[in-house]
Amino acid sequence: MRETFFPINDLLRRKLQTSLVLTSLTLCVASTLFLLLFGEKIGFGISLTVEGRLTSGFSMVFSRFIIFAGLLIFIVGAIIISFMIFVMMSQRVRDIGLLKAAGCPNDLIFGYFTTELLIITFVGCFLGVVLGILANFASTGLLSNFGLQISQKPVNFLLVLLVFVLFFILAIIFGAKPILDAAKVEPAKAISPAYHLGLSKESGFKVVSKSGFIFRIAMRSLFRRKSATIRIVFCLTTVFILVTVAVAGGIIAEVTTKSWVEKAVGRDTVLIAHQNMCTEYELLLSKFYETREDSRFNYTDERYLMPEGILNCLGSISGIEYVDIRLVLKAQVKEVRNYTFNPETGATTPVGDDREGESLIIGVEPGMVLSKWFLEGKFLGEAQAFEAMVGDSLAQRMFSTPLMQSIRLFNHDFAVIGVCLDPINNGNVTYVPLEALQGITGITKPNVVTVKIDPSLNRTEILNQLRAYIRTVNPGFEVFELNGILDRNVGFLGYIWSAIIFLPLFSLISASLCLIGYVMLAIAEQRQEFGVLRALGAKPRTIVRIISEQSFIVLLSSYAMGIALGIIITLLILVPKPLVTGYAVLEIAGWLLTALAAIFIFSLYPATRFAKKPILEIMT
Amino acid sequence: MKTGQTVVLASLLCKTYQMGDLKVEALRDANLKVEKGKFTVVNGPSGSGKTTLLNIIGGIDKPTSGKIVVFGHDLSAKNEDFLANFRCHRVGFVFQFYNLVSTLTVAENVAFPMEWTRKSENQVEKRVEELLELVGLQHRVEHFPFQLSGGEQQRVAFARALANNPPLLLVDEPTGNLDTKTSLKIIQILLKLKGDGKTIIVVTHDKGIFELADQKLYLEDGKLVSLNA
Repeated sequence: MRETFFPINDLLRRKLQTSLVLTSLTLCVASTLFLLLFGEKIGFGISLTVEGRLTSGFSMVFSRFIIFAGLLIFIVGAIIISFMIFVMMSQRVRDIGLLKAAGCPNDLIFGYFTTELLIITFVGCFLGVVLGILANFASTGLLSNFGLQISQKPVNFLLVLLVFVLFFILAIIFGAKPILDAAKVEPAKAISPAYHLGLSKESGFKVVSKSGFIFRIAMRSLFRRKSATIRIVFCLTTVFILVTVAVAGGIIAEVTTKSWVEKAVGRDTVLIAHQNMCTEYELLLSKFYETREDSRFNYTDERYLMPEGILNCLGSISGIEYVDIRLVLKAQVKEVRNYTFNPETGATTPVGDDREGESLIIGVEPGMVLSKWFLEGKFLGEAQAFEAMVGDSLAQRMFSTPLMQSIRLFNHDFAVIGVCLDPINNGNVTYVPLEALQGITGITKPNVVTVKIDPSLNRTEILNQLRAYIRTVNPGFEVFELNGILDRNVGFLGYIWSAIIFLPLFSLISASLCLIGYVMLAIAEQRQEFGVLRALGAKPRTIVRIISEQSFIVLLSSYAMGIALGIIITLLILVPKPLVTGYAVLEIAGWLLTALAAIFIFSLYPATRFAKKPILEIMT
Repeated sequence: MKTGQTVVLASLLCKTYQMGDLKVEALRDANLKVEKGKFTVVNGPSGSGKTTLLNIIGGIDKPTSGKIVVFGHDLSAKNEDFLANFRCHRVGFVFQFYNLVSTLTVAENVAFPMEWTRKSENQVEKRVEELLELVGLQHRVEHFPFQLSGGEQQRVAFARALANNPPLLLVDEPTGNLDTKTSLKIIQILLKLKGDGKTIIVVTHDKGIFELADQKLYLEDGKLVSLNA
């Protein structure tokens, strides 16, 4: 036998198994590479780059997800590879025994199977890299066609090489161990099914007498095949954690973050301002989902200040629930350093620095604000107090511990009492009491009014009435519905989260292949027994049921553990103050059950194929 | 049954296996008639097609050509569901290498062919007790196959083959792997079953079993010859 021919022939002889190992290896490498390359391009990848879009608070939530999903995808990849190589080698231990019994020396045997491992690992990693790059190009092209701004960065080949080398080394490490172990086993042991299938003599497991015959065989087989069963349960549990974090986490985070944006902007809210101001306000809100240059807009231009007539008419129109008066302007702000005092040592420690920058300043009437923010700290309380609530991006960019510091504005210090997530000006915003702002700027009139219309009344009629009033007072002013821009903001969040939901797709396919590998191992081990059952009157579907019950038990136990852990991780670690709606629960359940059903159906393929075989072919 | 007392009727039975480019003829125009309650022994050199013949009679395999009628049913024309029912209710198989299900205990191995019938749990339990008493293994009820000797495993295989009280018993080399003392126990079981009026076809080289036969057949190169004449 030529040394180079044996491994190639052996791999080709086991076509289904070889293709399973190759495909799962390819998908693991591809999914990790795709995540890294695509994450970099969409700008909220592992590197935490914000690229001028999304506020830092939102970006943080996404990045936490991406990093966690990336870590899990890598771990899942490593576990899947280790499992598939274990299954591959488990089915070769008998051959190793036979080779040894025929007098083949240990080093030659090790050489044969190591060559097989090297071939399969190299081909798998290579195909994985190609698939990962292609998936990256395809996704970029697809999203660009939908009009989304995707960076056209060239492929980072250093990253590609890193992923290739990492997975290659991992596969070799995981694969070499079982080969080395098998090569050391005595021939008699290696030939014995009790050894090469990892059987223990007696499971000690007793099922209750009433349980069905099929369940009895399925359970005992699972316990007898302990080593492989534990590995596959571990592998699938990790995959289900990943799927749950991505799907359940993705959906919960989507609902939660969308609600943050909706509450901050206000659903069914109408903006009343000068035409130019409306355009500028729209631009400020759109900075959340696209990179926009700052315009040189003069917010305090006399023309943009709200005429008294408009403010007066708002009170006379029935159906207007809330009137939120605002003074919006841009100004230079400065971080004010604070000190902490340690009463025990008497030492003072400085908090913060003297950073400066431009911020959008919004003066609001604390009791009349339509928006409800997701915030840390508290909202403004008194109309004249020198207190401020800053946006998350500003807090991150300019403050060390914002809630312990103040912000300097027009030479006045405002104590920072809250940090909020707000899409306006992409989180680069400072909210202060309107009265205090008017006092220090000398601008007595607001330039923006947002109103909320009673949803039980005819909205169109009220808006028409409002437009008519405003036109009579000042034709330069207009009524602008914020729902359109709000929908675009929310849609952008939806697009990002949907990208996250599909991240574990490759891992899910790999997990299906693992389960198929496990089912094949079960069939190989019980082949003779299934033949006997058939010969003694069992129908092919009985055999399919025995195999599918084993697969289902493995799948269900992994599913339960994976989902429980995934939900805990999502709710406790990844999403702060999660919002779980009934619809979200249904959506999550739908996705997760679909994943379970899909894997289960895939795993039945070898069973149905096997059951169709003639009895004699099974038994011989 | 259309043929009266005839249980097995095979005419011009051929079975060819394709092994790569090579065609192997396991059976060539074999004719066989087995009457109800008769003890038939098939003998012949290794590879002569004895097991193939048993498999075709039992509905495990199908002939390449020719006709095999068992209990009035042309088995070559039946689908897998029919054959599964047929094997469950009409035929008892004892394989050369016992082929017990390793995940089941002795009692469960004997009981499982009854799982596909409508017997109650009590009936199954009673039947298992009866059969294990018949083969002398009452004390091994909770043991797993790997805890039994070869002879004991063969006796369990007999008990299992009789679970549904099939009228036809097909036995392949029952003493081939056993010592003389254990073989005697098997012969006693066969004798008892013959006394019960079962139709039995045994493939064997064992002279002790040969002596029990009502009909002796010899199979060589796929051709079946009667030794009674």
